[in-house]
Amino acid sequence: MLAQAIPQRSACHGPLPRDIPKRHSSFPRLLMLKNAFLTLLALAIAIGGGGGGVWHALKTQDGIGAIRIGPWTAFPDIGTQAADPYSKARVAREGVLALGQAEGLSFVAERDSGGEQLKRQCAYEIEGGFPTARFWTLYAADQSLGVIETDKPRLAALQSYQVLRQPDNSVVISVGHRPAPGNWLPSDGSGRMYFVLTFYDTPIASSTGLSDITLPQILKVGCNA
Amino acid sequence: MRRLLHAILLGLLGAGVVHIIVLLLVPEFSERDAWSRLAMASDLYRMTRLDAEAGGTPVVKSVDPLFYAAACRFDLSEGMVRIKAPGNVPFWSVSVYDRSGHNIYSFNDHSATGRVLDSIVLTPAQMIEIRKNLPEELQGAIFVEAPIDEGMFVIRSFVPDDSWKPVVSRFLEQSSCELQDF
Repeated sequence: MLAQAIPQRSACHGPLPRDIPKRHSSFPRLLMLKNAFLTLLALAIAIGGGGGGVWHALKTQDGIGAIRIGPWTAFPDIGTQAADPYSKARVAREGVLALGQAEGLSFVAERDSGGEQLKRQCAYEIEGGFPTARFWTLYAADQSLGVIETDKPRLAALQSYQVLRQPDNSVVISVGHRPAPGNWLPSDGSGRMYFVLTFYDTPIASSTGLSDITLPQILKVGCNA
Repeated sequence: MRRLLHAILLGLLGAGVVHIIVLLLVPEFSERDAWSRLAMASDLYRMTRLDAEAGGTPVVKSVDPLFYAAACRFDLSEGMVRIKAPGNVPFWSVSVYDRSGHNIYSFNDHSATGRVLDSIVLTPAQMIEIRKNLPEELQGAIFVEAPIDEGMFVIRSFVPDDSWKPVVSRFLEQSSCELQDF
């Protein structure tokens, strides 16, 4: 660690003395405010645009290396050495410790199957078959992908050992403010919502397993506007 | 006018350069990465709960609400580290991360002998050393060879329902993360 830090520091000191004589020679020579203005403009665009671009790219959920299956998105490479620089920066900035391949794989949905953003005030139905895994968990999340707070005694999360199944082994889950028969995932409040579906100890976590799996649909039932 | 255009173009070009540089420097200089957060919470070789259940705000975003997690930091240049956790829980999985939070190795309870968590993280050089004379007590352990110095070891355990909370909590609290020397 130390060995890395020292050359970086000396590299920072390096260019400084070379910069100073340049400024000395250019300042007395020209009185042109215009040139200074144009330089400043170019610098402002460069620093503002470059920095802002990174900030924006790290804020959006979407990214390179995503695998989309219906409304669900997964990043199988996140948190590995093979990840792209954007994922690496996001991991460092948010302090994420991503699940390893032997642990599981997370899918996030930010829109329903109709393409509309998920909202906490709306009721949804999640239905369909789930791919092979030892078990899975599903929870309703806020922007930071933490579980949403509801005023209900139940956590806004479900797992596969507790769900009721249809005769064909598929699962229907009702998401909403009001309790529903069958599998109910409580939600509450207003604003944007995400669903996080994580499969644990699953063969789909290896990238070859991801090609032909199907994930449940998310259907909007109605909104309590 | 042309000079203005020139300046804007130059600025956009610079923006691209700055974008790439900033992007590559974020992981180097981030003070909010998992290692730094853990370092603020506890010392090396100390198992620390990552979930909010243990009181206070969660140290590292431990995403799944149906999971409890604990982590410890280690430094392999001081010697190899042994992680043990007694008890029987529905599911546990572990990951070894390097200093910058990259997942290096992961396994779960199905890979362990008798589903007991007993693992040793060591460098390839230490592995060669220990292979010469493998101590009796380490025969059932899972060896994780990691070409790193500093790293993190995370244990995640599934909490199927409220009745499992005390069991899983105890499992994580009794887990140990010790420097092992030979």
